[in-house]
This record gives sequence, structure tokens and C-alpha cells, in this order.
Amino acid sequence: MTGTAGHHLDQLLAVWAQTHRLTDADAERIRQTIVPEDLALPATWWSDFNSKVSEVIARATAMPAPAVAAWT
Amino acid sequence: MTTGRDDAAVFTRIFDRHRHAVHAYFIGRVSDPELARDLVQETFLRVWRRLSEVGPLPDGQQRAWIFTVARNLAIDSYRTGAARQAAEDALRHQATTRETTVAGPHAQAELGERLARLEAAIGQLPEDQRVALSMTTAGGMTSRQIGEALGEPAGTVRYRLSQARKQLAAALDLEEDGA
Repeated sequence: MTGTAGHHLDQLLAVWAQTHRLTDADAERIRQTIVPEDLALPATWWSDFNSKVSEVIARATAMPAPAVAAWT
Repeated sequence: MTTGRDDAAVFTRIFDRHRHAVHAYFIGRVSDPELARDLVQETFLRVWRRLSEVGPLPDGQQRAWIFTVARNLAIDSYRTGAARQAAEDALRHQATTRETTVAGPHAQAELGERLARLEAAIGQLPEDQRVALSMTTAGGMTSRQIGEALGEPAGTVRYRLSQARKQLAAALDLEEDGA
């Protein structure tokens, strides 16, 4: 293949590649299909939430210090 | 501690880094744009599901992981016959309609005619050459990167590209007239 021929083939292939590339719009559509938009909660949200609830319950049901002192 | 938002950001980085290469691979394998997009989506869906495993990998290993999935999906797709049928339909459709879809001034018509011939010639290439050509032109990958992704030596990829270019040049009469 001559240099000119190679150059013309490169140009044609560049146009071909352009027509076959994944468009930004298609890429974004794919990305949004995979990653839910409402992914606002962290993955550990439920475990964090449960820990906090447990902590509050433990604190609320613990015997106050004066009561402990009076008890003993 | 990672969060859902962190995961989404990590995934988006991986997706942006590899999407063109993966899409180019499927274009080379199945030819049909719609099926290629579906397979890209399926590939990255698996990345998303295994993000904790794929995310920390170095770039080369990440690419190899993704292309292992892509190759398996392409094989599965061929097994079901969907990809083969789609590829045949797409090649037939492109060969018959490309010229009529490019209209307008003379130069554009001429370009359209050349692209139609190129499309048909690419369709005639052996699959491994078509994949290498698509990944390097549409995917913007080097021979080394393609080799890493497909588990083949870079020299083999370079040879395939060279063979593909020779065939295309011959099909487009570029050797004789240099035009």
C-alpha cells in the first residue's frame, strides 16, 4: 500500500469509526440504566441506622446514675 | 466506608474509561449497533454488581476482567443465535442501504459510496481482524492494549491489523490508484 493510499484508508476508517462510536447520549442512557438515579442512600445506611436506633434504645432504657447510686 | 454515591462515582470512572473500547469490541463481533449497545450494557451491569472486586484492580487487570466478561457475553450471544442473525442482518442492511442514506452534494455522495464499500469490505474480514480493526479505530486502543484485553500477543494484533488494512485497501482499489 502506498503512503497516499494508507492516508486515504486512515481517513475513511476515521469516518467509519465516527459513525460507529458509542454516542455520549447512548452511553449516558446505559449508565443511568445501570446506576439508579435514586442512589442517594449510602450502602451502609441501614446498618448505621440500626446502630443508632439500638444506641438510643440502650440509652433510654439504661438506669440513670442517681438511681443506680440509690440502688446500691 | 464506601457509600452508594462513592460506588456510583467509581463505576462512572470505570465506565467512562472503558466504554468506547468495549463498544468497539462488540461492533467488531456482532456488527449490529443495537445488539452491541445491549451487550455493552450487560457487560457494565456485571461490573456494577462486582464493583467491590473490579474497582480496586489496576487499569490493565480491570480491562482484562471487563473483556473476559465481554468475550463470554459475545459467545453466549452467538450460542443463542441472536448475534449471528443480527450481524448477518446488519451487514446485509448496511450493504444495501448505506448508499441511499447518504445524500446531498457530489462529494458527500462519493464519500457515502466509499463508506458503503468500506463497510462491505469490513464485513468480509475474518472476525479476529474485524475486531482488532474496530478496537483500534473506534475504540482508540493500541495493539498492546488490545492484546492485553483479548489475552493475545501485541504482535498478533499488529499482524491482524496489517492484514485487515491490506484487504481493505485492495477492496477499495487504493493500492492501484492511490486515491
